[in-house]
Amino acid sequence: MSGDSQAVDVCAFWVGDAVYGIDVARVEEILPRVVPLPVVDAPEHVEGVVHVQGTAVPIVDLRRLLPAGSPPRTAKPKVILARLGRRRVGLRVDGMAGVRRYTVAEIRPAGTVPGVLAITGDECRLLDLRELLADRPAHRRPDL
Amino acid sequence: MSREPSGVEALLARFRYRPDEESGGLTELPAASVEPDRPPGTDEFRLLTFGLGGGWYAVALGTVTEILRARTLTEIPRARPPLLGVLNLRGTITPVYDPSLRLGLAVSAPPCAGPDSARPPRAARILVVRTALGPAGLWVDRVRGVQRVRPSALERPRGGPTGGVVGVLPMAEGSCTVVDPEWLLR
Repeated sequence: MSGDSQAVDVCAFWVGDAVYGIDVARVEEILPRVVPLPVVDAPEHVEGVVHVQGTAVPIVDLRRLLPAGSPPRTAKPKVILARLGRRRVGLRVDGMAGVRRYTVAEIRPAGTVPGVLAITGDECRLLDLRELLADRPAHRRPDL
Repeated sequence: MSREPSGVEALLARFRYRPDEESGGLTELPAASVEPDRPPGTDEFRLLTFGLGGGWYAVALGTVTEILRARTLTEIPRARPPLLGVLNLRGTITPVYDPSLRLGLAVSAPPCAGPDSARPPRAARILVVRTALGPAGLWVDRVRGVQRVRPSALERPRGGPTGGVVGVLPMAEGSCTVVDPEWLLR
């Protein structure tokens, strides 16, 4: 029943002990090592900016926005260069978990978890990136 | 497996990337510190001083990524007054602004964009500054150089920065106004 129009391609990654996903179309590049330039007065979850192809891109540490936990030992931290509208943002994650394809039937609403839209059958949490990065204290990590 | 939870498509509409989606509300970053930066190990600030009209002005050196010799810009039809035109900076389209309008110095910007504009003066420079939305250019009459100053030498407005003016620096050639480059672009 699920044609390609029903498929959802997800770029999955580890943050803490959970797997999260963003739309694979958002992902521009995975950067292995990034040393951001600190920014004065930036919010706590913003590490700083890096220059990517001539533009300054903020680096957001998702580990400070999502629940803490220990990632698997094999995970290698990366920065995902993601598109957000016409802007780009770097997302610091604990490790990549591959590109996964789901059908709509495999996805269920997440309820009221801040920043998480839906959860797939294998517990990949689909993020509402715009909601998560909106500068509102309600969406900071709950245990901070 | 034909059961489709209601509302999932609506959630996925938020999940999927659209180039025209709003990114407003995304954490607005101060692109670079308004405060003059200090080289490590010293307590001196570094300022880039430049001339506009008859006065001297300065921005924190850390906000400036590059100084270009002024060149004829590409005009933008109906550009609003502070915006002079755009510049192709190694592939990045960079808007160039006239800071003198913001500083209340000139009534109208001299045309320096488009094929009919005069050749820019020899001393004119474009300061490329970092902003939250990418690089932007500031058209200045001349660049004086980098000035190292002790924090105590900078006279700050009482009660914090007013407008975009961070402070005033007394110099031999007359006082130099230290400004926030982003304020000049607004």
